[in-house]
Amino acid sequence: MVNLTIDNTQVTVAKDATIFDAAKSVGIKIPILCHDKKLHPFGGCRMCLVEVEQMKGRLIPACTTPVTEGMIVRTTTDEIVKARKLVLELLLLKHPLDCPVCDAAGDCDLQNLTYEYKVNCNQFSDEKFNHAIDYENPLIERDMNRCIHCGKCARICDEIVSYGAYTFINRGIEAKMGTPFDGPLSCEFCGSCISVCPVGALISRPFKFKARWWALNKVKSVCSYCGTGCQLTLGVKDNKVLTTVYDENQGFHNGQLCTRGRFAYQFVNSDNRLTTPLIKKNGKFVEAGWDEALKLVSEKLGAAKGSVGALTTAHLTNEELFLFEKLFRGTLGSDNIDHSAGYAHAALTEGAQKAFGTVTSPSEIADIQKTNLLLVIKTDAYETHPVLGFEINLGVKRQGVSLRIVSDKKGKISRLPGAKTSVHKPGTEIAFVNALANVIIAENLAVAGVAGLDQLKAALADYTPEKVAAVTGVAAEEIVALAKEYAAAEKALIMLPIGLGYPGHDAALAQAVANLAILTGRIGKEGSGLLIMGEKNNSQGAADLGIYPKNGGLKGAAIIDGAANGQVKALFIAGENPVVSYPNRKKVEAALEKAEFVVVSDLFLTETAQFADVVLPAVSFAEKNGTFTSVGRRVQQINKAVKPAGLAKSDFEILNDLNAALSGKRYGNVAEVFGEIAATVPAYQGLTLSGLGDEGAVLPVAPAAKLNAVAAPAVPAAAGKLALVTGSALYHSGTLSRFGEGPMYVCGDAYAELSEADAKALKIEEGDAITVKSDVGSVSLKAKVGKRLPAGVVFAPYHFADASINTVTDGAAVTLVTVGK
Amino acid sequence: MEQVLFRHNRPDRSVTFEEYCAEGGFDALKKALTAMTPDEVQQTVIDSGLRGRGGAGFPTGKKWSFVPRNLPGPRWLICNGDEMEPGTYKDRVLLEKNPFSLIEGVTLASYALGVRHAFIFLRRDYETAAANLQAGIDAAKKAGLLGERILGTEFSCDIDLHLSAGRYICGEETALINALEGKRPNPRQKPPFPAVKGLWGGPTVVNNVETLANVPAIIANGAAWFKGLARNPEGAGTKLFCVSGSVVNPVCIELPIGTPLREIIDQACGGLKPGKKFKACIPGGASTQFLSEAHLDVPMDFDPVVKVGSRLGSGAIIVFDEGHCLVEATLNLIKFFARESCGWCTPCREGLQFVKEILERIERGGGEERDLDLLRDHTRFLSYAFCAFAPGAMSPLDGLLANFEDEVREHITRKRCPLKG
Ligand SMILES: Cc1cc2nc3c(=O)[nH]c(=O)nc-3n(C[C@H](O)[C@H](O)[C@H](O)COP(=O)(O)O)c2cc1C
Ligand code: SF4
Ligand code: SF4
Ligand code: SF4
Ligand code: SF4
Repeated sequence: MVNLTIDNTQVTVAKDATIFDAAKSVGIKIPILCHDKKLHPFGGCRMCLVEVEQMKGRLIPACTTPVTEGMIVRTTTDEIVKARKLVLELLLLKHPLDCPVCDAAGDCDLQNLTYEYKVNCNQFSDEKFNHAIDYENPLIERDMNRCIHCGKCARICDEIVSYGAYTFINRGIEAKMGTPFDGPLSCEFCGSCISVCPVGALISRPFKFKARWWALNKVKSVCSYCGTGCQLTLGVKDNKVLTTVYDENQGFHNGQLCTRGRFAYQFVNSDNRLTTPLIKKNGKFVEAGWDEALKLVSEKLGAAKGSVGALTTAHLTNEELFLFEKLFRGTLGSDNIDHSAGYAHAALTEGAQKAFGTVTSPSEIADIQKTNLLLVIKTDAYETHPVLGFEINLGVKRQGVSLRIVSDKKGKISRLPGAKTSVHKPGTEIAFVNALANVIIAENLAVAGVAGLDQLKAALADYTPEKVAAVTGVAAEEIVALAKEYAAAEKALIMLPIGLGYPGHDAALAQAVANLAILTGRIGKEGSGLLIMGEKNNSQGAADLGIYPKNGGLKGAAIIDGAANGQVKALFIAGENPVVSYPNRKKVEAALEKAEFVVVSDLFLTETAQFADVVLPAVSFAEKNGTFTSVGRRVQQINKAVKPAGLAKSDFEILNDLNAALSGKRYGNVAEVFGEIAATVPAYQGLTLSGLGDEGAVLPVAPAAKLNAVAAPAVPAAAGKLALVTGSALYHSGTLSRFGEGPMYVCGDAYAELSEADAKALKIEEGDAITVKSDVGSVSLKAKVGKRLPAGVVFAPYHFADASINTVTDGAAVTLVTVGK
Repeated sequence: MEQVLFRHNRPDRSVTFEEYCAEGGFDALKKALTAMTPDEVQQTVIDSGLRGRGGAGFPTGKKWSFVPRNLPGPRWLICNGDEMEPGTYKDRVLLEKNPFSLIEGVTLASYALGVRHAFIFLRRDYETAAANLQAGIDAAKKAGLLGERILGTEFSCDIDLHLSAGRYICGEETALINALEGKRPNPRQKPPFPAVKGLWGGPTVVNNVETLANVPAIIANGAAWFKGLARNPEGAGTKLFCVSGSVVNPVCIELPIGTPLREIIDQACGGLKPGKKFKACIPGGASTQFLSEAHLDVPMDFDPVVKVGSRLGSGAIIVFDEGHCLVEATLNLIKFFARESCGWCTPCREGLQFVKEILERIERGGGEERDLDLLRDHTRFLSYAFCAFAPGAMSPLDGLLANFEDEVREHITRKRCPLKG
């Protein structure tokens, strides 16, 4: 620790702190334009000049100068104020000062400091900048006339996003923040650059001219897309969510968001929202009142009782899922309840259950940056959970974490410094992971005294590196080297994304990777263990609350089948869209067609809702209160920001009403149900809604680690066929993001990605219309050709309804397909 | 006059490898590698009092001693041959006449510092120098004086010649490091200083061409000898002075450090051009303050020149006569600096442009009294910039205001340049 004096205040800070940090720690505000706490110091704006007694004669930048013992710092003297004024005057010299039409006005550091320093007349005058404005993309408008050269956009895009879309170009007064060859911006469109831009040089186009910043009501919430659980602040006006407002103090991610979190909120106020219940009469939907609709639904459910089938999405809040469970398993006595097609949560509900005795993985998000070695299963971890991808970037680049990836393709994270990707044949990940365990045992790298070691050793005897090399296509030496590296690392963390696009990331794979962590004694240690990354914002909550069959009930796909064969008499679907997101679309459609009675509650008249007998308009996360539980078990609150669309009700109200109508208990409000959860779900014990605060609470976990041998499934192969693997596109999450403007602007169409070799052999070029055909169906898609896929593999994201890839999938990890023009 | 750097020079061509060796070239390397430890080499350089010839005059041996010892991982030596400052051309002359002193010096410094791989970062336009250096490196390598196990010892060292993509800021040592890494040549923040964290994050010493070319003679002849070369008691060694402007004979000449300015102009350069009268000079390259007639007796060594309000800089002397307008001369330099500013920090990027405009105004006859205050403010506030570029850029203006304020004021009161019609 170092002691110094700032403006006569004694300060003690860590020795790597800067003067700026030290001042901040005691609440002394030093003005600055180019600083962001998440980024490396820049030192360019020269607003933060201070005087240091020991370095008299010149002014010192607070943001780049490390503290030293006994330093005496003054942050405001006449000379300092004059220097800062000069900086502002210089910046304003060529700045357009078009505040009346600038979206940053009110939230602009330049404007605020100009005001604070009373720069009410400029002693200088000069011509204004005249740079062309980049309107080329629909999300980020770049007006470099307003740029103050703080470099933050380039730094965040490089340091955190690891994309590198920006760099300064030119010199002197002509220096400007540019893109490669000064072309239009082309990137991931996460908008991180907008969030840190201190002025209006980078603005969100969807928000442009929508509202003045000060007129926005700012409501804290949590992103409702993926399981990362990013906190966000909604900018609300006139009962509309108009934007997300950056708050660098929110969440573990310091306000960072991905494209979906930042630009995909428009589904809340979409014109296509359902605003009234609908009842199908003579094949046509007719608007109905809630009383009529709920009466019909409760009659049908009451009649079907134990043969009700109920599917939900893991987008619902914990409180809603609690009511869901109470209604269907409790009041109606049916165990046919599930979510995420039954397979997409199995890694937690079966895999983790067997490996750790609990439906959660033992590690937290914070472990990512604390570990020494990250073993990521599939490069897709970046696409499924982009902000966890940023954590990986930071871990590797700032903390020196070694990154090892086991994947069926390369991806963005493969390019991080020192990263090694073992690209295996599709569907062979369990064999690969078993081989790692085999080597760890064979080389005596397992910790002493692990229970079940001998049984595991025997069970995995066949998974020698040599044999597995033949199956996976990865050299035996590479497998051995990876196993040794993993075992040797002081701390090692495995990341396993799961979701509807990843049928192979199942209970067995979860157990196989859990074995690695258990064998090497990584469970319960900081920076170590296993992080199973649930797909949706509340996937972890759905597992915690038991939204899956527990007493022999039907699982997700079987519930759909049951609707077709009469085993399920009434089917209730809350927010899930099985037609698009479950495998084998035709089969799902046929089943829904045949089903006796289908109720769908959703925000939109989805592809699935089209098949319903009754459609109930539900509300989005922005229209209700409640809690979500994210990856790493953080329980966080969402807050109602806008009134429901039309007559729409929250699933909380819908389920509560139905439960009461069927003689179940009627619960009062969200807080009461949260109290019930705290009382009945052990991990949530002792929590209160108000106690969650802004940070949320990380649920405790007490894993009882147990090795379980799992066998690798046989992987189908056939001459002339390609292996189709599905997954998530960077800009999308589930099927909801299709109602977000951002994702649809950047990635609006379904596509299939091919290797260069296959594309060449099939004479397919980027953008061609191609047909992908399997035993269950065929679909026409746009071709994408890239270097990251090995020959023989096709990748397609599953989010899209038109040309949905699930028309050709059948629920296996790998589907054999033919591809042609 | 004892010639150290120019000892091997031929009047009409560059010295050959054989000639250099025959005249005792590479003896210092042999001596060091066989009879001295790296620490002894460094100590000799410290004792010699050699100060950096790149402009800042930092004691060379002391800079070397900042490199942490016993640190794992590679460390680097970079010779700075960017030389893009207006008026400065001494490194070019040196390298065109003789690349070997530098090659030997780089190798000796690498030995002292434990560097396996050194770089020479050379201005792109220096084609003859580049050809000389590459041929010299190849010849030395062939002769076993570079590469693996030099002279059969444990010491191995290679030198890479890197041609700059060309910009003045590339001469600033941290910008140079970025450029060498293939990045945009923006300076880096200091601390950490390059000696601790430089090229690819490793400890890095950056030294000027002339600085390193002095090392062989120091090792060969000893620290005391080197000190004794200076004209003034606190000085050490000789200095290359490259003169331009209104003198009869603008030359690049090697003289004892501490030689009075007047002597250089009058004797070495033959005085002012016929019919011209001395008015001012810049003593050390474009980023040093103008000196006036009153300063002509200053010994040309680091500290004495600072005492009279300027800097020895690179030793590039630019002489102005009574017919030159110093406002215009300053404007000319400021134009250069405004263009070359890397754009990283506000005062330099925006301020130089603004200063340029004020000077243009004054030179046109449109200046106002308050412009003097504005200019003065800028000389002060631009010195708080991110790197040494902006303070350097302000030096001529600073000298103008300190020594020739009347001339500026005359522009303002007479509403025209008094030297033009
Ligand atoms: C804008 C700027 C340009 C510079 N250009 C050069 C140059 O061309 N050559 C040089 O040797 N040093 C130059 N320097 C000084 C270097 O930063 C560095 O101090 C020097 O190379 C160190 O060598 P020395 O210790 O041998 O003098 C420049 C400095 C600045 C601020
Ligand atoms: S949107 Fe994201 S990827 Fe694109 S430039 Fe900005 S920070 Fe980089
Ligand atoms: S665009 Fe914004 S963030 Fe980027 S350098 Fe300019 S002012 Fe800074
Ligand atoms: S989609 Fe996921 S990663 Fe992106 S902002 Fe939302 S929670 Fe964060
Ligand atoms: S002083 Fe000038 S050259 Fe140096 S960093 Fe600032 S803008 Fe760049």
